[in-house]
Amino acid sequence: MTPPRLADRLLHLFCAPDRLEEVQGDLHEEFQYQFRRVGARRARWRYWRDVLGFIRPFASRRKSKEYQKIIPFDMIQNYFKIAWRSLQRNRLLGFINVAGLSLGMACSLLIGLWVWDEFQVDKGLPDGDRLYLVRLTDGAYTSDILPGPLAEALKKDVPEVDKATKFTVWSNDFLLRAGNRFGKKVGLYASADFFDVFQYPVLQGNPGLAIQSPNAIVITRNVAQAFFGNSQAVGKTIQLNNEKYYRVGAVIENVPQNSSVQFDWIVNFSEAEEGWMKTWNNNAFRTYVKLKNGSTQAGAEARMAGLLPRYQTGATAKPILQRLGDVYLYGEYTNGKPTGGRIEYVRTFSLIALLILLVACVNFMNLATARSSLRAKEVGIRKVVGARRLSLIGQFMSESLLLNVFSAGLAVGLVQLMLPYVNPLVDKQLAIDFTAPLAWGSLLALIGVTSVIAGSYPALVLSVMQPARVLKGALSSTPTGAGFRKTLVVFQFSLSIFLIVGMLIIGRQMHYIRTKQLGLNRQDLLHVAVEGNLRPRMEAFRQELQRSDAIQAVTTTGELPIRIGSTGSLDWPGKDPKTDASVSTMKVGVDFTKTLGINLLAGRDFTAADTSNYLVNESAVKMMKLENPIGAEVTFQRGKGRIIGVMQDFHLSSFHEPIRPLVLSNYPKWTNYFLIKTQPGKTEEAIQVIEQTARQLNPGYPFDYHFVDEEYEKLYRSETLVNTLINYFGILAIFISCLGLFGLATFTAEQRTKEIGVRKVLGASVGGILVLLSKDFLKLVFVAILLASPVAWWAMHRWLQSFTYRIDIEWWMFALAGLLAVAIALLTVSFQSIKAALMNPVRSLRSE
Amino acid sequence: MKRAFLGEFEEVVLLTVAVLDESAYGVTVTQEIEQKTGRAVGFSTVHTTLQRLEEKGYLSSRMSGATAERGGRRKRFFTVTTAGRKALVEVKHIREQLWGALPPQTLQLMGN
Repeated sequence: MTPPRLADRLLHLFCAPDRLEEVQGDLHEEFQYQFRRVGARRARWRYWRDVLGFIRPFASRRKSKEYQKIIPFDMIQNYFKIAWRSLQRNRLLGFINVAGLSLGMACSLLIGLWVWDEFQVDKGLPDGDRLYLVRLTDGAYTSDILPGPLAEALKKDVPEVDKATKFTVWSNDFLLRAGNRFGKKVGLYASADFFDVFQYPVLQGNPGLAIQSPNAIVITRNVAQAFFGNSQAVGKTIQLNNEKYYRVGAVIENVPQNSSVQFDWIVNFSEAEEGWMKTWNNNAFRTYVKLKNGSTQAGAEARMAGLLPRYQTGATAKPILQRLGDVYLYGEYTNGKPTGGRIEYVRTFSLIALLILLVACVNFMNLATARSSLRAKEVGIRKVVGARRLSLIGQFMSESLLLNVFSAGLAVGLVQLMLPYVNPLVDKQLAIDFTAPLAWGSLLALIGVTSVIAGSYPALVLSVMQPARVLKGALSSTPTGAGFRKTLVVFQFSLSIFLIVGMLIIGRQMHYIRTKQLGLNRQDLLHVAVEGNLRPRMEAFRQELQRSDAIQAVTTTGELPIRIGSTGSLDWPGKDPKTDASVSTMKVGVDFTKTLGINLLAGRDFTAADTSNYLVNESAVKMMKLENPIGAEVTFQRGKGRIIGVMQDFHLSSFHEPIRPLVLSNYPKWTNYFLIKTQPGKTEEAIQVIEQTARQLNPGYPFDYHFVDEEYEKLYRSETLVNTLINYFGILAIFISCLGLFGLATFTAEQRTKEIGVRKVLGASVGGILVLLSKDFLKLVFVAILLASPVAWWAMHRWLQSFTYRIDIEWWMFALAGLLAVAIALLTVSFQSIKAALMNPVRSLRSE
Repeated sequence: MKRAFLGEFEEVVLLTVAVLDESAYGVTVTQEIEQKTGRAVGFSTVHTTLQRLEEKGYLSSRMSGATAERGGRRKRFFTVTTAGRKALVEVKHIREQLWGALPPQTLQLMGN
């Protein structure tokens, strides 16, 4: 006879849990007694009455909190103890976990630092949300290299514009001299509003006032320190290029390294202004505006749209704005709309860092679930003794937390070790700022996220196990999560294969960029600045150098033949007035094609007499549709003149840009560089000759030279960065994946020891067992190849699209990547498989 | 010293626990009181009182002695603590003083 169920339920509901046992026990005992004494009906009735009697405050009152520990410290201590023991028991797995996690974390920390730094570029200026870069777009082509008068016109005609400033796109690497100290520093000629737009912190003087004057110079802290030490710099004089003296008007803080505008000194724009800079058809300036408080970008742009036609008849372009803080990351424009830019690299690398971290977490999950059959007994016992599911989850989470905290510590150490090597690679000064709460916050967040991700699967899977089944041994034969584990391995290898394909294709493209014939020869080519006395004695210097047999040829140019950005408007008889004849242009001296090894298809090179004649490239001839270009009449920068030579097309800029029509004019006044072609193998000798000659002719200046090759490399700085990073990441991802695979292989080999023993006894060969053990893993790698290849193809195709000149993606690249992955996987697994296959079956079977 | 306060029913329960010595728990205490006093006491009342006495420090308890008819549930056995004994002695002492102070004729009227 049992007491009424419903009454019991009611009791459960009302009675305090800590009293329930005795109360219910007493009630049941009493019920049995009454049942014997007075019969079932009355016993039930009494039971009900007694239960209802318990519905009162005392019984429902819970035990007071002070007896209950909110955090069960002793249990947590036990979790850590068990975690430590299970680590100790399997050092190899522990090592794999920690190595993988710390590498993954170090990698994502580094990327995090890099991304953070990328986002800091051009941020932090006062009124930053009102500062904009001006571009001109005709709907198809967008440029931030603008005509000179635009800045003034914007300020005058657009009421939304508060301040506007411009400066030349080229930087001026000039000799600064104060007393007996001198040095070359890069500076800008900027218009009067410069310091109203860019409000750098001021150390001495008033830069806003100083820049108004044509006789003042504003310098940065570094320059002030170098020239005047710790004494007051304002009021002292600095001589520029051994010519004019300027009074130091103000000293400002050094321009932050992550600023897109870099300079050491600034002088009023009028000091460098030339007649052509006041015209609307020569583009050579960057223009920044500061909008008035309350003005919107859209409002200002609407007002600007009609500005150009007022100054330039037939102009179709209109100015558009981009917030200064966005320029660096979103600098690419297609059809007049921003289409990303560097942000894509930032996003890609963030994603890769995340994935690598995930791969490391996957290792942890894999190894934890693989060992789940070993841990299952522990879980079973814990459950029998009364552990709830939540506390088991807590246990596995704290195990994961322990490993993650340890790995994070290692990762921070690794990052500190690696930063000195990483910084030059990425051309930044990254550092972990341990005083910043943000750094600690992100580190904690990283640990939290990885702990949860890594710990979640084992915690959830192991905690639901049925103790009765586990302890009977039902689980040891069917390890849980085998399917899940396979999925994770496939994921790891997909990422690795993706990165291998990326490494291959980016590497090939970079190789193509470096080795493709550009149409000009930049080997053994030096450039030396035209400065000081070298300017008036340009021709003498050239003649002097050419007498040496270490030097092949010397020419002069306005800009380096690496990124030809200037454009000009070309006119010729028979030109359709509607065609836009904007051509690239460069101002060069005599022997240009000879020095650069450019192939002349017809005609001849410049001589000193060709003051108003022009050299053009094939594309220009095509554009003008000339049958007999030599001798044809054209009008360009130096007025009406004739074409004297046609050059074979050569690359004017990076491979992202197509080869555009080019017109060269002989314009010695606008010369900035000597280009010197040395005899192959005689570079040292040539440099000595150049230095001697320069010192002789230009005694006031320190001698400096550069290789054009190096400048060319700078064109592809971000591509080189991508190339380097993807190589490191690829190797890292593969390494971490292999660690995981190695762990899994070790585990399966251990688990199948008996099976292998039996097989060997029955006559299996070593080779057969090797195949048996490797087969499963190889299958996964093949699935990964199938999954990763299309994704890799798509991503790489997109990346290559940004190049006008690019390699084709070929099938063998995927085959090679797959083969590599298979080889690496086999190699990783084979170590364990061979060990297992060679084992003496007697040893593995005798323990039975 | 703080005067121990014991309610009438509390005193009865405490005494019963003392009487039952080692075997005092909810059921036995209830049945003992019912038999000795002849009054029907609620199960819940006894439990409340036992709990209250424990909180006052007159009783201590331990869990043991599960039986099948209790569905494997343990009993909470109560024993009287030193403080409990003192309280009982004190109450008895007060009563005796009062009885002793009773005028003899009144005592006779009571039928003694």
